Amino acid sequence: MRTMLADAPRTALTMAYWGFVLYLFLPLTLMMAMSFKNAAFIAFPIGDWTFDWYLKVMQDKPFLEACAYSVLVAGLTTLAATVIGVWIAMLIATTEGRRGAVLFALACLPAVVPGMISAISLRIFISTIDMPTGTAAIVLGHTVHAVPFVVVMALTRLRSMPANLVDAARDLGADSVVAFFRVTLPYLGPAIGGGMIFCILLSIDDFVRTFFLGGYRPTLPMLIFAKVQGGMSPEINAMATLVLLVTGAVGLYAEYYTRRSRSR
Amino acid sequence: MDPVVQFQNVTKAYGQAVAVDDLNLTIQAGKFVTLLGPSGCGKSTTLRMLGGFEIPNSGRILLAGKDVTRLPPNKRNVNIVFQDYALFPHMNVARNIAFGLELKGLHSSAIHKRVMELLALVQLQDYAARMPSELSGGQRQRVALMRALAPDPQVLLLDEPLSALDAKLRQQMQIELKSIQERTGKTFLFVTHDQEEALTMSDQIVVMNNGKVEQMGDPHTLYSRPQSVFVANFIGDANLLRAKVVGADAQGTALTWNGKQVGALPSAHAMKQGDSVLIVVRPEALRFLSVPSGEGFAGKIRKRVFKGNHTSMTIEVDDGSQLNALVHPGESEAISGEDVWLGWNPRAATVIRDESAAG
Repeated sequence: MRTMLADAPRTALTMAYWGFVLYLFLPLTLMMAMSFKNAAFIAFPIGDWTFDWYLKVMQDKPFLEACAYSVLVAGLTTLAATVIGVWIAMLIATTEGRRGAVLFALACLPAVVPGMISAISLRIFISTIDMPTGTAAIVLGHTVHAVPFVVVMALTRLRSMPANLVDAARDLGADSVVAFFRVTLPYLGPAIGGGMIFCILLSIDDFVRTFFLGGYRPTLPMLIFAKVQGGMSPEINAMATLVLLVTGAVGLYAEYYTRRSRSR
Repeated sequence: MDPVVQFQNVTKAYGQAVAVDDLNLTIQAGKFVTLLGPSGCGKSTTLRMLGGFEIPNSGRILLAGKDVTRLPPNKRNVNIVFQDYALFPHMNVARNIAFGLELKGLHSSAIHKRVMELLALVQLQDYAARMPSELSGGQRQRVALMRALAPDPQVLLLDEPLSALDAKLRQQMQIELKSIQERTGKTFLFVTHDQEEALTMSDQIVVMNNGKVEQMGDPHTLYSRPQSVFVANFIGDANLLRAKVVGADAQGTALTWNGKQVGALPSAHAMKQGDSVLIVVRPEALRFLSVPSGEGFAGKIRKRVFKGNHTSMTIEVDDGSQLNALVHPGESEAISGEDVWLGWNPRAATVIRDESAAG
């Protein structure tokens, strides 16, 4: 009796945890289940099961084009954000004291500015400089948002790097550029890899910035949004399920990859 | 003998703190030279200035006669073995050692040959493909040493490389370092605060204190003929006896201590009658005299500590001063509280200026 009483807080914590997990997975499970329903509207009971919605989605040209477009935007964003982020991290790591703290705070700002505000201000900005909406504008918006995540990941790794490594490279005949590419960059490898995957996920997931900065070509979230406006159907569920599985797999792999390389 | 390194009036200060103060130092080629001193004495700064990681405020540094004072690290032909080895964690042993050779633009077959030669020198041929994280401390040490030796530097700089190893391994590495130095014929400039390390390996020891060279010489000379209180205390243990000079010449120094005349080696400093000086007598140079005689001093054993291969004794003499003696087995069976007579061979005692009296 005593032990049960003593364990009461722990039991409550455990139950709260599983309650949270249920709350997290129930809607997702429901969404996935409905994607297999052999009927045009979403409601219980499911009755007949089918793969037809998936076959339809896989042949849906606008969907495939939106996927390709999202991947293109994500790729460009990742490229730009990684270069800029690592650059900023190197600068912050070599700046001492207060100035370094200020640089760091500034670099992190885009991560905490609300997406809505950032999107509106960027929209106003690009029309002020007569830049058309479209791919370049989207990539610009996504990059600003993604850079802080690369900075934080690269900086964490840089701070754990023994200062002597670069000294050793210089001592053995490397100038500062060679030392960066042959020692610092490989050392940052795992952090950069993790940061890149994070950039891809952030970009593919982004709706608000894309909505304000995009042209006529829809990205994946835009396409799904447009379809939802036209009424829910199991086809949307199938699309959403596919996106969930792919991004989930990528995210888990990123976690595994950074963990493995950190333990070395 | 050519001087391979020359420091000429080199000063390095960080703000108000002077790390190296008007240093003049010449290092001969092919020698194992140690910079010895307590932390903050400027020995590491001296090494880093030679490596190119610090630029002196004034003075010149010559490497094989060429002024390298302001050259960046990659433009001077010296290499460092860092205190924590600084092996590249993402490269295996062979690639670590090859790093400096690749940057010299050597052909890959020549690099491979040289890497294997170096690995053979430290019996690590089978470890070429290992990552640094898979090596023991001693193995990392050897790889770091070979990586620094690979580009054939004019001087190899070693920045307290043994301090991360445990005592047993450290002794083993001391012997190995010395033998590698002898086999390769390279000039080694070794930095340490450990006097035993310095005595074991060095051809020349440079004792540094407060950014200046306190004394320079071979280990035996430094130990047997220290020229200052600092050197006497920093290298080995010393009994410092305050005495008055009676007379000095090239044969030796005559002094009075505790009312009796005693002898010591000729002094390096000019001495005249009546000068107040310190006699340096090493604990192992104190001798127990079997019979009370006019020669020795009466004392009482206050403490006796058995240390295995020797016994350490603290003896109080008549004037109240305490002397430490190191007694080998069979030399004396005197026990604590016993009255003894002791003295020393004048050839084992040196005289230095009494800085406290002079100042």
